[in-house]
Amino acid sequence: MESSRGGDEGDGASASSPSAAPVQHYTRQDYQAIDFHNNCAVKTILSGVMGGGMGLLMGFLFGGYDPCFADEALSMRQKLWISTKSAGVRSLQMAKGFALVGAIYSGTECIVEKARAKHDMNNTVIAGCITGGSLSAKGGPRAACAGCVGFAAFSVLIDKVMQGD
Amino acid sequence: MPKGGEEAVNMAQQEMEFRVDMFSRLTAACFEKCIGRSYKDSELNVGENSCIDRCVAKYWQVTGIVGQMLGGAQFPGK
Repeated sequence: MESSRGGDEGDGASASSPSAAPVQHYTRQDYQAIDFHNNCAVKTILSGVMGGGMGLLMGFLFGGYDPCFADEALSMRQKLWISTKSAGVRSLQMAKGFALVGAIYSGTECIVEKARAKHDMNNTVIAGCITGGSLSAKGGPRAACAGCVGFAAFSVLIDKVMQGD
Repeated sequence: MPKGGEEAVNMAQQEMEFRVDMFSRLTAACFEKCIGRSYKDSELNVGENSCIDRCVAKYWQVTGIVGQMLGGAQFPGK
């Protein structure tokens, strides 16, 4: 990113004061890239895709064990085949769930942040609440409420850990 | 240079000074309002972007209103 910034601009400042480093101005392309990245639809799709990939990986890592291993009637080859198939199915399910969570969460957060025009923890709380609530809305209002509070707390925790404070 | 031309240049210079002054005030006000104090990210985040959008629009609108009112007060017959 640094190298792509402003080659033909920003050389005027260095001519008068050679000790100072030349100022690197943003070019039109840089602004377009930033605007593209800050677009809520783009953010939603991007984190949906990332969530899907992560879910796929997690499904393969943790979904490997299948109850058919306890079955003595099957051969080792059959057991491996069945468990691989079921791991694939489970990891696909997991990928779908992760993609949904990621897309809903980051889309909501982006919209909330844009509307509030502030960048703080309240965005995380609101977006987490909406995500958790909408994902557990099938179980009735009580479950939706619990999901809201739980996911909000979880996302605040994750945010704190990511920020490192 | 004819006399009218010199006057025009002076007026343009004043106009330019006014613009530059307004721009620097606008920048200072909206920076103070919108930009967070934790400089962790090299780019503006979504909240700062939308805050600056609104701040500049509002500043510009208010400047226009104030200018109109001042002009109206000075020349009430116009």
